[in-house]
Amino acid sequence: MQKSLRTWFLLALPLILAGSLATLAWITRPQSEIPEGREEVVFWHFWGGTDRAVVEDIVDRFNHSQQQYHVRAVAMPGNNLDMKMFLAVTGGDPPDLINQDDPIVADWAHRGALMPLKEIATEEEVRQLQDWLFPAARELGSYQGQLYGLCNGLDIRALYYNRELIRERTGQPAPERLESIEQLDELATACVQREEGRLTSLGYLPDPRRLWAWGVVFGGRFTDESGKVTCDNPEIVQALQWMVRYRERWGADTLAAFRQGDQSLPGKTFPLLAGRYAIVMDGQWRVRDIPADRSRECGVWPLPSPAGTSRQAEGWVNGNLFLVPRGCRTPRGAWEFMKFWSGFGGREAEAARTCSQGGWIPSSQQVVDQPQFQQYLQENPLFARFVQLAAGDQVPTPVIPGARMYYREVNQAAERALYTDDPADAGSLLGAAARKVQQHMDRIQGQREKP
Amino acid sequence: MPDPGRRKSRRGRSAGWLFISPWLLGLVLLFIFPFFASLYWSFCRYDLLSSPEWIGTEHYQRIAAEIWNGDGFGNALWNTIYYAALSVPLSIITAVLLAVMLSWRIRGQAIFRTLFFLPSIIPLVASSILWLWLLDPQDGLVNHLLGWFGAPPQLWFQGTQEAAHPGTLLEFGSKDALVLMSTWGVGNFMLIYLAALGDVPPQLYEAAALDGAGRGRRFWHVTLPMLSPLILFNLVLGLIKSFQAFTQVYLVSEGTGEPVGSTLLLSLHLFLAAFQDLEMGYTSAMAWILFVVLFIATILLFRSSRHWVHYRTSLGG
Repeated sequence: MQKSLRTWFLLALPLILAGSLATLAWITRPQSEIPEGREEVVFWHFWGGTDRAVVEDIVDRFNHSQQQYHVRAVAMPGNNLDMKMFLAVTGGDPPDLINQDDPIVADWAHRGALMPLKEIATEEEVRQLQDWLFPAARELGSYQGQLYGLCNGLDIRALYYNRELIRERTGQPAPERLESIEQLDELATACVQREEGRLTSLGYLPDPRRLWAWGVVFGGRFTDESGKVTCDNPEIVQALQWMVRYRERWGADTLAAFRQGDQSLPGKTFPLLAGRYAIVMDGQWRVRDIPADRSRECGVWPLPSPAGTSRQAEGWVNGNLFLVPRGCRTPRGAWEFMKFWSGFGGREAEAARTCSQGGWIPSSQQVVDQPQFQQYLQENPLFARFVQLAAGDQVPTPVIPGARMYYREVNQAAERALYTDDPADAGSLLGAAARKVQQHMDRIQGQREKP
Repeated sequence: MPDPGRRKSRRGRSAGWLFISPWLLGLVLLFIFPFFASLYWSFCRYDLLSSPEWIGTEHYQRIAAEIWNGDGFGNALWNTIYYAALSVPLSIITAVLLAVMLSWRIRGQAIFRTLFFLPSIIPLVASSILWLWLLDPQDGLVNHLLGWFGAPPQLWFQGTQEAAHPGTLLEFGSKDALVLMSTWGVGNFMLIYLAALGDVPPQLYEAAALDGAGRGRRFWHVTLPMLSPLILFNLVLGLIKSFQAFTQVYLVSEGTGEPVGSTLLLSLHLFLAAFQDLEMGYTSAMAWILFVVLFIATILLFRSSRHWVHYRTSLGG
């Protein structure tokens, strides 16, 4: 009898445990904040720190303005947001909207993981949106002639310079504008500083990840009109050859050692302010890292092109995009939120407030023209330079399937050219990268074209 | 007439199955199915979103070409072998030496034991960031210390050099930095050796001493053979762990395998191929090759163990 009781107890034990856990989970369940009668819109994003507060404010403003939808923002680490989203689509439970800055639009659109905007917006809205966006913002969200993403912020690169350092080391005030690459080289040489024979500060050092920007400024394009990989075209090779001259001058080890910590180490001071360089290429997000009392020390130059060539482009641009995964529950709600955030559809004033709060470059001139944003630009002249550049001829990063591999391979070719002592020539390195990426793209295309 | 004993044992068996059923379910769904499915996918083009498309041995041919060219998988394989070949023996040697020293009866023994064990419980993320700071080529503490001894500064995580490579001998690059990082966490291995050292019969040392063996000989002929089963255990475990090293590489290279693919270990290469390039078939093929390589390496280690591992037998008398 006793044994039988024990058996029953042992059998019931897992049930008791499972029951207790379920009860506990029910008691501690998150209280739903969705007001009665509203549809939930789940929004995944990667903003943390001070940006997260801005995002939460936008979400609150949207939710207050709404009778139909309610956005729930979920902050996630940015590194693998695309992987999480991909697995969610595969698992059949994607969010309604994600924000992404990696070049994945074409990859996902090609595989049918994204909804084209024409499926969630009216034809008229899509047409108006195309006119409303900056050309670069439009291209960043388009694949094969269709809009898949709505750009909510552009990332523009330019050259930051330290006025004080340049004046101190060259004995001349920093120029208001760089006329050519050659002028940059001269300044870079003049601003070098040594202590006990050891290089302690440099004028400028090219970063391999910036070949994307220099390549287009030299007149190259990373894809041709048919979408073929062209990172080995003569202008991009020429840009890499120019970067390699810095290696030849200072040595691969110096380049590598100086690069360490510029971007990767948390808590490091902006190298320009730390006196490590006189000139640095970076994006508009760096403006926030310059304390107000030192902002007069710094200036921003557009990227110069080689002397004697006609200017082909102002620079290379990527950006943040809103994407709607296929299979989500509330795509229409996601569209309403996208419009609210970006300012499209008569909400430019709201977007101007958003961009001023976050220090983000709007994706439309109509938002830039809003009085609140103009006021913000007057108060932040360094940032204003980037906004001016956004309206210019910025070449967007290629929107092609396999773009992430493309990005990796080009960076690796440039790294090999800059950080190894005896690399192959720039043309061979970029040629090998082009072949590898093109093969990858062909595999992707072949996979889909088969019946 | 039914046999009550048999019925009871059948009921006992049913209860047993019932108890292990959650685990069994997990095993089948999360291990056995993916295990065999990945073998099938390794012969397919597959991106998770569309159905797998059979392409035969194309992925394996691609991998063979990459090994031949030293590109992609070939580069990742070389990086991983280099890392494993240095980090595993170095970790074992460090752990054994630390364990031996920490077994000496000295003042503050417990404090030293705690201090040397502590790094192994520090999260890998925190220790990776710490190492990035320590090994900064410009401002890092390690290069400053090297400078005191007149040694040239090293590039560590920013360099592609390989300290064990004849061309760049004793020039420390990114993989060497990873190896150094791996020795930081030998506390677990050390603890196992420390426990085993307490178990070595003192009469063996006494007998050796009577035969005139000094400290070194006693270590070589008594301590090491007595630790050898555990060294084998840690060798196998360390090898598998080093082939699976991911977190630290992902952190120090920001998920890229930089510089110039020199920190692209196999696990990171697999991750990028699967979740950035969406090539699940190619990834599965690589994972299977990795499995086979590890399987063969483990068998070889076990086979070799009969020549150098000494299992304790009764001391008799």
